This record gives sequence, C-alpha cells and structure tokens, in this order.
Amino acid sequence: MKTNDVILQTTTKVVFFIIFLFSIHIFFAGHYTPGGGFVGGLLTTGALLLLLLAFDLKTVRKALPFNFLIVVALGLLIALLTSAWPMLFNEPFLTHAFGDYDLPFLGESSLHTATLFDLGVYLVVVGAGMTMIQTIGGDT
Amino acid sequence: MAFQILLNVFIAIVWMLMNSSFSATSFMIGYLIGLVLLILMGGFFKHRLYVWRLWAAVKLFFLFLRELTMSNISVLMLVLKPKLDLQPMIFALPTDLKHDWELTLLSSLITLTPGTVVLYVSDDQRTLYVHAIDVDDVDEAIYSIKNTFERAIKEVSRP
Repeated sequence: MKTNDVILQTTTKVVFFIIFLFSIHIFFAGHYTPGGGFVGGLLTTGALLLLLLAFDLKTVRKALPFNFLIVVALGLLIALLTSAWPMLFNEPFLTHAFGDYDLPFLGESSLHTATLFDLGVYLVVVGAGMTMIQTIGGDT
Repeated sequence: MAFQILLNVFIAIVWMLMNSSFSATSFMIGYLIGLVLLILMGGFFKHRLYVWRLWAAVKLFFLFLRELTMSNISVLMLVLKPKLDLQPMIFALPTDLKHDWELTLLSSLITLTPGTVVLYVSDDQRTLYVHAIDVDDVDEAIYSIKNTFERAIKEVSRP
C-alpha cells in the first residue's frame, strides 16, 4: 500500500543537509579532534541512506547520477597519488608535507597533505557503502 | 520574501564597498540601514515586508512553547490521577494548508505537544488523522488546534 509520506519527505529534505554539513565538519575536524575520513564518509553515507529511505532508489539515482564504483576508484587513486608523490623528490613513500599559509578570507591556516589522503579514505567509504546499499536494495 | 532579504544583503554589501571596510560590524550597520530603507520603501513591494513574517515565526515559536508547557501539565495531571477514566480518540482534522512544509510543521507541532499524535496524512493532504489521549469534545479539540497552530502557521506563510 502506498501511503502519503509528506511528513517524512519534507523533514528529510531539511535534515539531509544538516547531516551532510556535520559530516563535512567531522571530516575536517579529524586532525585535531575526533573525526576524520572514515567517520565523515560513514555519516555522508548515512545522509544518503536517509534519502533512500524517504524517497526511492530511482529518484536518488536520478538526483545523484554517480557510479559509486568510480567514486571508490577515484578515492583509491587520490590516496595512491598523495602517498606516491614524495617518491619523485627522493623521499620515502607516504611522506607528508605541511606548512602554514596565509590564505585570503580564511586567514592563517596550516595545510597538510594528510587531508588529501583522508579525502581518498572518505571517497572510498562513501563509494563502498553506497555500492553495497544500492546493490542489495536494487534489481541490478 | 527571499527577494527582500537578498536586496537587504545587497544593500549591506554596497555599504561595505562604499566604506571599504570589510568586517562583520560594517555589514551589520549596512544591514540595519538597508532595513530602514526597506521599511521606508515598503509601499513599493507586492508582498508585506519580510520582517513581519519573521515576527510571525517568532510568535509561533513562543506559542509552541506555551502550548508545550500547558499540555505537559495536563498530561501530568492525567498520569497522576488515581482513577483511569480517559477518553482516547482518533479524529480527523480537516486542514486547508497547502504547502508540504506547512503540513509538516503542523504535524510536528501537534505531535510534539503531549497528548496528541498525528497518525496519518490523507492522500489528498486535506485531512490529518490525530490520536488524542483524552478528549471530551471532538469539535472543541479540532477547534483548539485550528485556532492556535494552524492560524499561526498561516500567519507565517501569508506572502
């Protein structure tokens, strides 16, 4: 029986963005406070899962037309490149560089290439989670 | 409403550019000046000023707080009463709210006040089915919801 999901769907449209924002916050908080790529990725997957619960697979696939297997590949590629890059400069594998920069608008910020590695982890977690859910939930 | 807020932010940015000081304080000053200008030019807009809708939203928030306190106390009285003579009831609440968010807001407000829960929204979105823990008179319950929450939500959404 098809019921009227107006309350669930309208609430999801608001809550989705809050969860998504929180996942990005968790992702960037990872260096100094609890958080990081893995939890951030899982939270993003949770937000997308909420969309899947409130709407259906076809709608979400139309709104987010990513092939999540490619997202996994992209994440692995980013992680591999950031770890292999120092080898070009006669540094060992997985050497990270960091420094303080004075960015416009953001002010004094310290940038670290470990964030790029974390971005790879994030993408792999999101891609793997969504692939699993879509494969179990869908027909194909 | 969105256009007026955008215009107000735009005026604030122009004020910041005129003074060439880019800080939160000068943005606030520009925003307040823009607000005064908007109030002066109020007659030129098709809809009422967004400040009044904001004020209606604040009033709705305080109305919700009041209803929450009152119905919490009444449910507490029901719980503490030694004799269990409740009159639970599911009734249909006709509503003429149009947008999805209005309907969601009304259902959330009804559900958050103790004693009443929204069970189901009809397919044409014109009727809410509400379960209430203790109702003496259905018409009176419907009237009280319509008169408080629905009227306040309509006040917020009126353009």
